[in-house]
Amino acid sequence: MTEHFLIKTDTASPKGGPNQIIPNWSVAERLLAAVAVKIELPPTQHALMCQRKATIEAHLESDGSPLKGHIRLFYQQGSVAIGATVKAKLRDEGFDIDIIVELLHRGSLTPAQVLDLLFQAMRGEPGSRYYDCTVRQSRCVTVHYADGMHLDLSPSLLLDERDPRRSIIFHSKTEEPRWKDTTILTNSYGFVAHYNRLCPVDQTFSDKYGRMVRDADLQLRDMMKDADSVPVPAHSSEIGGKSAATVGLQLIKRNRNIRWHKRNRRMPASVMLSCLALEVAQPGRTIAQNLVAISSHILTRLVSAKNAGLLIHVENPCCPGDVFTDRWPETHHDQDLFISDMRLLLAQLEQFLDERRSFKERARTLEEMFGETVARQVIDSFAAETGETVKSGNHLLGATGTIFAAPTSVAAKQPVRQNTFFGSKWPGN
Amino acid sequence: MRREWPQFSLTAGTSPMSVMWFGPLIGMERSFTLSVQYGLPFGGRSDLFRFIPLVRVLSPSLVLNFDAEQEAPLPHVYFEGPDYRLSPLCLFDPAAGQWNASMSIARTTIPWAARWLACYELWEATGRWHGGGRHQPAGETKDAA
Repeated sequence: MTEHFLIKTDTASPKGGPNQIIPNWSVAERLLAAVAVKIELPPTQHALMCQRKATIEAHLESDGSPLKGHIRLFYQQGSVAIGATVKAKLRDEGFDIDIIVELLHRGSLTPAQVLDLLFQAMRGEPGSRYYDCTVRQSRCVTVHYADGMHLDLSPSLLLDERDPRRSIIFHSKTEEPRWKDTTILTNSYGFVAHYNRLCPVDQTFSDKYGRMVRDADLQLRDMMKDADSVPVPAHSSEIGGKSAATVGLQLIKRNRNIRWHKRNRRMPASVMLSCLALEVAQPGRTIAQNLVAISSHILTRLVSAKNAGLLIHVENPCCPGDVFTDRWPETHHDQDLFISDMRLLLAQLEQFLDERRSFKERARTLEEMFGETVARQVIDSFAAETGETVKSGNHLLGATGTIFAAPTSVAAKQPVRQNTFFGSKWPGN
Repeated sequence: MRREWPQFSLTAGTSPMSVMWFGPLIGMERSFTLSVQYGLPFGGRSDLFRFIPLVRVLSPSLVLNFDAEQEAPLPHVYFEGPDYRLSPLCLFDPAAGQWNASMSIARTTIPWAARWLACYELWEATGRWHGGGRHQPAGETKDAA
């Protein structure tokens, strides 16, 4: 008889899936991380985005472009610049990528004319590759790609060269009278630098999460290998490694996307959530702890504003006057909706993190928080990988029996013989 | 058992020359209370627990799912009425010689029960059994164990 004993491992196999069994992480932590990996911009897509950004830059600065010679700089802003991008809507509809197109000057152009100029330059002549997939918005020009990715190009103008990236952007709704057009103070570049400087990165977490991202990305690249324009990311691990606070923020954004999907209203701005997350970011927290801490803080800030009869006000800490809540909440009803959302999320997190509850209940709560499709994929993948672990005997046992005991645990049990589950048929058959 | 699983308590069984252990065990993270029944050969009696340790889940109760995609209504148990939720778990394949009376229950049966509980929780959530195994062929009785 062959005896099979477990093999102690403390590193994830590069062939593993996104839920790869990781010692020391609770089941909740593994599932939350796997959801985050599913919804975020993977390294391959990040590389594709960079390639598209470079192509657009070349397009706008090419001969014949009305903006040739008038652009100082292109840079990423928003979620993509802090590594917190999540899929745009409820399903696999791609990612919104924000790019600032910093102009050298605006001449005597009005906000509407600046936006129209960028729109024309981007769209080009009939027959151009961008002609049918470029849309003029109120503050940006959006380029839609067939795979669902959107690049939002916001024209901006630097205000003071001694205060880098303190800029204005332009607001002009085509359906409104022109007197309503305006410019808006912004320093998204400064906020990104501030966020990335202050957001705590735990190296152990970052390494583990980075491995999951790379593993998932390898699977994605396998799926996309026949596509024409899939670049290979040079350093996907650098893109994947990041703060548990940012992962918590991504999950809150995902929850927001789900809650607001059917409301047909403007939803809470990502940059506001990023700023609030940063206010309570601390090193050493798990994803779950960050989720609870950030959600609680958002709720506290919202309720505080409500109790004062106000709408929440969040400003760029690097640029007084750059108001992150200038477009949301529009009404107290919007604010009340988000208060309810945060209360619900906190209640669901309490259920999800309760180890006394059945895995079935916790899985259902995960679906309710982050969407049925993604959560179901994560649960199925987790179940399959855990099953493989059981079948292989490749696990330790804790003092109380858990098959997820950490190799470093002093109470971990000795190797266990392999077994084959058996059983009788249901007598009712 | 006392050294490996001190949380299990030992009592005399209800039949002669048999014992019962009661204690908590975790598969993934949720704690279940189990009973383990085992006995020595006695007077030609053919109780199953005199051949293999019988593990039952006492609480929280197992949940029968007749709509499960696989292993409905309960995975890998020796179905035993009247309360099928208390059916003994089938933790090893008797035909494969994975267990005999010379082996430690603490180092085989209990760890296997932890594996079973983990797979049961996944089955409860997904309707699919991920732990592998096989079933008693038609005509083979559980006394074959």
